[in-house]
Amino acid sequence: MASQADAHAATFSAAELEFLAEDELIEIVPNMRMDPLNLICGDFGPFRPQIATQVPVWLAVALKRRGKCTIRPPDWMSVEKLTQVLEAERDAEKFQPLPFHYVEISRLLFDHARDDIPDIYMVRSLIEDIKDVRFHKIGTGLEIISRERTYALRLKNLSAMEANIVRPFVTRALQTFYKLSSPDMIQDSDSVSNRQPQTANRGPRRQLKDR
Amino acid sequence: MKIRTIKLREAHKNGENGGNSFCSILWDQQGDRIVTASSSDPSIWVHDAQFPSVNPKSIKHHRDGVTALALSPNFTCLASGSIDHSVKLYKFPGGEFETNITRFTLPIRALAFNKSGTMLAAAGDDEGIKLINTIDGSIARVLKGHKGSITGLAFDPKSEYFASVDSTGTVIHWELQPGTILNTLKGIAPATFSDQSAMNMLSWSPDGDLLAVPGLKNDVVMYDRDTAEKLFSLRGDHVQPICFLSWSPNGRYMATSGSDRQIIIWDVDKKQDIDRQKFSDRISCMAWKPHGNALAVIDSKGKYGVWESPVPSSMKSPTEDIPNVRSNGLLLFDEEEEEEASASGSLSDLGDDSLGESELSSRKRLRKNSTLDNSWGEDINDELDLHPNVESHKKASKSKKDSIDHEKHEIKNRMTYSAPKMQESFQPGATPVQPGKRRFLCYNMLGSVTSMDHDGYSHIEIDFHDTSSGPRVPAMTDYFGFTMASLNENGSVFANPCKGEKNMSTLMYRPFSSWASNSEWSMRLEEEEVRAVALGTTWVAAATSLNFLRIFSDSGLQRYILSLDGPVVTLVGLKDELAVVTHSSPALPSDGQMLEFRVLNVRSATESLRGRLPLTPGSYLRWFGFSEEGQLGSFDSKGVLRVYTNQYGGSWFPVFSSSKLKKPDENYWVVGLNATKLFCVVCKSPYSFPQATPKPILTLLDLSFPLAASDLGAENLENDFILNNMHLHQIQKRIEENAAAGRDTASIDDEAFTIEAALDRCILRLIASCCNGDKLVRATELVKLLSMEKSVKGAIKLVTALKLPNLAERFSTILEERMLNEAMGSTVLHGNFKFDAPVQADDVFERPSLPESSTEKAVLPLPPQRSSTPSFPKEEKAEQPPNAGNGIVGSTRALRVEKTVEAKDVKGATNPVKKQPEEIPVSFNRPSNPFAKKSNRQEHSSLFDSIKKMKTDTTGKR
Repeated sequence: MASQADAHAATFSAAELEFLAEDELIEIVPNMRMDPLNLICGDFGPFRPQIATQVPVWLAVALKRRGKCTIRPPDWMSVEKLTQVLEAERDAEKFQPLPFHYVEISRLLFDHARDDIPDIYMVRSLIEDIKDVRFHKIGTGLEIISRERTYALRLKNLSAMEANIVRPFVTRALQTFYKLSSPDMIQDSDSVSNRQPQTANRGPRRQLKDR
Repeated sequence: MKIRTIKLREAHKNGENGGNSFCSILWDQQGDRIVTASSSDPSIWVHDAQFPSVNPKSIKHHRDGVTALALSPNFTCLASGSIDHSVKLYKFPGGEFETNITRFTLPIRALAFNKSGTMLAAAGDDEGIKLINTIDGSIARVLKGHKGSITGLAFDPKSEYFASVDSTGTVIHWELQPGTILNTLKGIAPATFSDQSAMNMLSWSPDGDLLAVPGLKNDVVMYDRDTAEKLFSLRGDHVQPICFLSWSPNGRYMATSGSDRQIIIWDVDKKQDIDRQKFSDRISCMAWKPHGNALAVIDSKGKYGVWESPVPSSMKSPTEDIPNVRSNGLLLFDEEEEEEASASGSLSDLGDDSLGESELSSRKRLRKNSTLDNSWGEDINDELDLHPNVESHKKASKSKKDSIDHEKHEIKNRMTYSAPKMQESFQPGATPVQPGKRRFLCYNMLGSVTSMDHDGYSHIEIDFHDTSSGPRVPAMTDYFGFTMASLNENGSVFANPCKGEKNMSTLMYRPFSSWASNSEWSMRLEEEEVRAVALGTTWVAAATSLNFLRIFSDSGLQRYILSLDGPVVTLVGLKDELAVVTHSSPALPSDGQMLEFRVLNVRSATESLRGRLPLTPGSYLRWFGFSEEGQLGSFDSKGVLRVYTNQYGGSWFPVFSSSKLKKPDENYWVVGLNATKLFCVVCKSPYSFPQATPKPILTLLDLSFPLAASDLGAENLENDFILNNMHLHQIQKRIEENAAAGRDTASIDDEAFTIEAALDRCILRLIASCCNGDKLVRATELVKLLSMEKSVKGAIKLVTALKLPNLAERFSTILEERMLNEAMGSTVLHGNFKFDAPVQADDVFERPSLPESSTEKAVLPLPPQRSSTPSFPKEEKAEQPPNAGNGIVGSTRALRVEKTVEAKDVKGATNPVKKQPEEIPVSFNRPSNPFAKKSNRQEHSSLFDSIKKMKTDTTGKR
């Protein structure tokens, strides 16, 4: 992905996205007593044993590593909820609402708080499945776009990771469509975007076939 | 017709398929408990009828769904039949499993006890109906004749006949004595071959003259007792076949439920429907309350509820004129059983004609024997606030000792059933025994003690919530069977009740760290049983069945033995203080438990507090303990948390009420509290206590007084106002105590100041809402309650911004008055004491505020200047830097002030208003903190003023 990165398609790497996701709040149950932390991003705590409190994921993971807390998996990470989402995702055309950073957060929790997630194998496979279904949906959706003439695209409930993957391609493709459809635009910007339409024209098909 | 809705609670999960299942419901004798079962749930649940949120008790011995329930007429024995082909008997209300009384080759569908409880009929998909002697479990007779699976059984209340119905709709009328078929009525009831959730049933009227069977035309057909001739039918608004029917206890009314999801109440004599109720699912079972006008219903989804007063109050009660001979089908109901019922189990008794007479005599006997009995003996309709889940000590210990004679004991103890029981002793933070599961012996803010039963011995683990600071305690194996425990930083104490002759009651103390090895100790109590334990710093206390309070030192020295006033309810310890709750008298029939508490100081061997412990009527004590600040708190079964304060000569303030939260599906299991929060574990109904694994997580709930709905619409503010006032009072009390003891009160002063500031903020907001609500008198009163003068100024600014010049004027008069008072107070101090320089500085700093008020007043007629200071955000007002805007004014007018003050000096000096001389040293202490901010000092002095102010205020008002 980084190789594609240019001014138009600034994408994040997975690690960068994970870093961004670490600012999301999550509930932990500390097993130590600590005064509130006054951080730039906000005040967290006070921490009292056995009393749940909200902290950013990075803090939760840091405390968890030291064995100072247990992380409470968010509501959407339960087997029932995920099963529902997966079913709905398979049935419906639209994307189901999931947290913006669901891929990253679940990944972080799987890495650092395995013992705090009930039915971790089930949860993990469900999230993988949901991810696959959604990516597949994106792929088929894009195929439709390329068949018809589209200038704009509305993708509701797309998560960070998904948006990150489709962003460089979709924006450029749409731009190209637009340019191709308006003859004066082509003439105007001929010199500027001579190179882009070509790559974009070929690019999408190749990608879609891959999926 | 008025449409009422009955709230149904979920009792049984309805399997995975979410389909319909056949559910059963029963009342117990007093209407305290409701027993439910579902064909998709292997466990039977015993719910509390009055407190549905109280955790139901589960009886789980079946391996598959329970299809039939029956309660013996003396309400001591519960029978259940299941899809797993077995019929089991349990003790009731205890729920202890007694025996597998019989087995079939196919699922059971119906059960019925006979009138005397000596015989149980069971039938199902097998071809025969088994009549079983309940005493020895022998099969007296097998009645064969049905072709389909038998779904309904009913003994004739006069014990001559027996009726059964099968899924093809055939009713067979048997004569019990030879066990022969009298009549076979083919296809008179609707056939329900496939649908296992709707079963045919039938029921004798309580006087035994009629047999009611659902008919083919969506009606109920009544058949004659002897000839089985069709007499009449109840026909009305059911549009689908009737699937359940139940006679009211007096036989005057009948409730029927149909597949059309409605219940109709009939007046049987007039053959007319009285009332009806629609439900979202088919009601698969109903039961009339034995005493009182209520009908328990359960639908095919496993949700149950109680329909209060299904019979309109204008009509005769469903329990009036109960015929002497009683019993009806599934709803087996009886008050008095035959005297020799349990002794004679033979079939020859069944046709006893003198039954009615013997019952009458036994009723007389009952009345003579029990005095507490009167209220329901005479007026059955009068519903008592009976106490659930609480059994007398006597009965509990007896039932433990001998299980064989259990039934007899039950009969003897029946008399005591009529009045509420005295609550049994408990340990705060303990959960009840659940077979095969870990339970809490103690769960507090510090940690938990859990116990798990392995056959014969149990594993006890001690965990601290704060794993980093608490000591690590190795798990221990417990051969005593400890049921009580208490935990603090230094150690843990355990105790067990005595079990039989060999196992004596033992008290054991385990310190967590000690310099000597083997420093744990145990005491054995002979002929005495530990009821509750507590521990504090360097002491251990145990209350026993002889009403002794035994106090030991932590090394095991027996220090004191006190006699308590009554049976102990619970013990709690914190540091030096030991709180004891005892019964002060037997429970009142109207009001529930009569409890009193004492707080003892173990170190000084004194009593610091004593009084009655109030409870919500009809409730019992659930939790008792100290808050983090050392205040006493109690939580009762109706969800009201009370805190002891020394205001009003020592009273309990209700500071939390779970009914106010309006979350009926949540139960709160209290663990602790502090000044503003309640720490509890939130349990989803039907559970009222948490499981030990996974470790429950504490939830913080705000304390909130159960305030009346005020016209102000600012309940949060009013709540804060009361709460802050309460805290302020406590802190002032502490300041006084500490000052009297000559201790440094600076830190408490700070605390008091923050509370005062919060209180002022809250009052200012209240003033704002009062002004908005046009309650100007109330606003004026609130201004008088403000403790800091700058908040009064804030209030003046507020009302001028709200364009209420009238009020502003009043406020400034109030301010002026209090300035005057203060000036007098301070000059008095001036005259009596030589102040150190810094204090004097404070004093001078303070004074300029007097002219400030006059300027304010002067400015008042000029609205532009006022309105140019726009309404501040309200919080800011109290937190404005002290005298921020007053500096200039103060300095320019200082001279004049000095004069005015001096003028009063003469007057003031003669006036000895030296209220709290012990507080003066405190003010000397203050400059000793060189790091204290200057503003802080200013705050302190204003605190002083405010305390004085409060004093004068309160003395002035009361």
